[in-house]
Amino acid sequence: MKKWVKVILLIGLSVPILTACWNQKELTDLAFVMALGIDKGEDDLYHVSFQLVNPGNVSSGQNGGGQGLPIAVYKSTGRTMTEAARNATKKVSRRLYYAHTNVVVISEEVARERTQFLNLLDSFARDPEFRTTTEILIARGASAEEIVTTLTILDKLPVSKITKEIKSTEAMLGENFSITIDDLIDGIVGSGKEPVLNGYQLIGMKEEANKAVNLQKTTTDAFLAADGLAVFKDGALIDWIESKKSRGVLWVLDKAKSTSITLKWKGKKNALVFAPIRSKTKVSTILKHGKPVINIKIENEGWLSEANTAIDLIDPKTIGKIEKLTEKAIKKEVQISVKEAKRLKCDIFGFGDVVHKENPDLWKKLERDWNNYFADLEVNVKVDSYLRREGVRTNPFWSDINK
Amino acid sequence: MEKAKVSAFQMFVLIVLFEMGSAILLGLGSQAKQDAWIAILFGLGGGVIVFFIYYRLYMYYPDLPLTSYLQKIVGKWPGRFIGFLYIVYFMYQASRILRDFGELLATTIYNNTPLFVINTLMIVTIIYAMHKGFEVLARVGEIFFGIIYLTAILGMLLIVFSGLIHLENLKPILENGLKPVIKTFLRETITFPYGEMIVFTMVLPFFNDKKKVKIVCLGGMILAGINITITTIVNIAVLGVGLFHRATFPLLSTVGRIQIADFIERLDVLFMLYLIIAGFFKIAIYFYAAVAGAADIFQIKNQRKLGFPIGLIVLFGSITIASNIAEFIQEGSMIVPFYLSWPFQIIIPFILLIIAFLRNRKKKTSPA
Repeated sequence: MKKWVKVILLIGLSVPILTACWNQKELTDLAFVMALGIDKGEDDLYHVSFQLVNPGNVSSGQNGGGQGLPIAVYKSTGRTMTEAARNATKKVSRRLYYAHTNVVVISEEVARERTQFLNLLDSFARDPEFRTTTEILIARGASAEEIVTTLTILDKLPVSKITKEIKSTEAMLGENFSITIDDLIDGIVGSGKEPVLNGYQLIGMKEEANKAVNLQKTTTDAFLAADGLAVFKDGALIDWIESKKSRGVLWVLDKAKSTSITLKWKGKKNALVFAPIRSKTKVSTILKHGKPVINIKIENEGWLSEANTAIDLIDPKTIGKIEKLTEKAIKKEVQISVKEAKRLKCDIFGFGDVVHKENPDLWKKLERDWNNYFADLEVNVKVDSYLRREGVRTNPFWSDINK
Repeated sequence: MEKAKVSAFQMFVLIVLFEMGSAILLGLGSQAKQDAWIAILFGLGGGVIVFFIYYRLYMYYPDLPLTSYLQKIVGKWPGRFIGFLYIVYFMYQASRILRDFGELLATTIYNNTPLFVINTLMIVTIIYAMHKGFEVLARVGEIFFGIIYLTAILGMLLIVFSGLIHLENLKPILENGLKPVIKTFLRETITFPYGEMIVFTMVLPFFNDKKKVKIVCLGGMILAGINITITTIVNIAVLGVGLFHRATFPLLSTVGRIQIADFIERLDVLFMLYLIIAGFFKIAIYFYAAVAGAADIFQIKNQRKLGFPIGLIVLFGSITIASNIAEFIQEGSMIVPFYLSWPFQIIIPFILLIIAFLRNRKKKTSPA
């Protein structure tokens, strides 16, 4: 009898503990913040746009989603991120939940001002709910709010469009690459490497971007696109590296996987296209007359994706020549980017880190004035390209029509 | 003293779990920057030497725990006094680890739950384990050892396959020479976690196979040491030195980086699982040592009675030792190593060993 009392008492006592609902949050009480857009107002406050997902309208499958829009954007202001987030609760019925925030868009205006920009970052890094794998973007030629409010057509959630798009450009083109908050902060803190961030543009009729009508057309009136790399120095945006010149940055940072390299063949422009499938970059440094010299070695292999001229592709010697041309082209791309970075006196490649790792004693002397030193640094580029395959044709049809 | 028998494997498992415990969670040796792993290996070397002090003492008195042979070595009352200090030390350590554990849960997932509630739940479980005796604790250890290893291997594989490891982050090795490494070694890594093997002097008499004590303990320490070193290397390789230094819990940040195929991500739960298991064993062993020591010194027949009172002290201690996390960390890095770890883990045992050596030599040289 006494034993039963004990057992029941024990079960009764453990009930409130085992439910584990000290601060439970029902799914229906949460508002998932997918993206944040941060602008600067004239009042010196942060104007933050919260892109919230509207769960009922996103679900796909047999029943299809709901009729409404997949996202809703709320705005609020504050002197700090936390203040803005708390102010937003006046407008949103649900608790803002940041664990699924994948994208933070910062306007160019904010990024250009050191303190304003840096004041944002700690809140993202410190909050345990926020994931450090979050992508950070700079809104280029548009306000962050415009970027965050834009609807997209293929992916219902604009955020997944952005993150997937960056990944696919990184993989297929190599002009933008995934950059997270941790990368950014590491770049700002360390003196051997300055950070870059992806720029994002809203192309087309901006006023149409946030309307459902925009999605009724096959060519949407306004759409989002990655554009250029924002270069940061001393914790503030100083300039842009345009898309054309940014590929070399990815080559050096060993982020480039694939891209297309258009080559000239015997006077004919756009005659051949080389598409690398894998690439490996090694950056090393040696001392020459007491000065560090950077050696970049890029090795890639790929296939020929186009041949728009009469060319004898069966001959291994031709292949060798194409390889040489590719090497030259890639080398040029890298040199353009290096030149661009030198012009900005901003070591976005992390050459300083390489010197630091290889030669710590020398680094101590150079560390303080590294970016100026970088501007006159000798950088050698060596590229080894291997053309392995030519697709499913041997000689192109051009070889026959010109006979 | 409790009559318990523990097999070699169980003891090995307990040592590994205990040593890895909270050391893996915190940024151990982060003062030495990218050379933290070297400091940890040094610590392991130093810890092994220190362990031999405990081992010699054990060889002199294989059937007695620390608190009992203290009385044999320095006399009844002085021995009891020092033994009492040890009990307080064990209780303090148990409180510290309980706080560590609660603080981590409170900052990461239970943001709104009071620390007191988290700690209470943990200590209640530990008191219950104590109540069931050391053998039960050892058997539970066997089960959880497997789980921990599975999560660890899984986590490691995921990190490797996420392509997160950049070993070049470890360079330059010994940038500022050996000095910072040695400093970290003396201040931190020798005493935490390796010097903490002192707790096991309280439970070594339970060992059923006296011949294997040395190999089991050393094996456990070395395995744990290697695991901690690998974890540290991975942390630095994934996070980079700057973040490794800045992160409150580097391993948590590392695990948070895992992202495979867009759906294997946000695996903080692996970390939490490890944390709760390892935290449990570390606190439980310290706690057990405190209870067993108190029972021994105050000659209480049924040591189970001491579970609740000492548990309460540990619980309140864990709340009151510091009013915020900065104070707590400051205490741990400035006060604990010099005023607690060094004296209790190294200096006192060393003096004891010398006295024991002299006494036992006397016995041998002047046979009755």
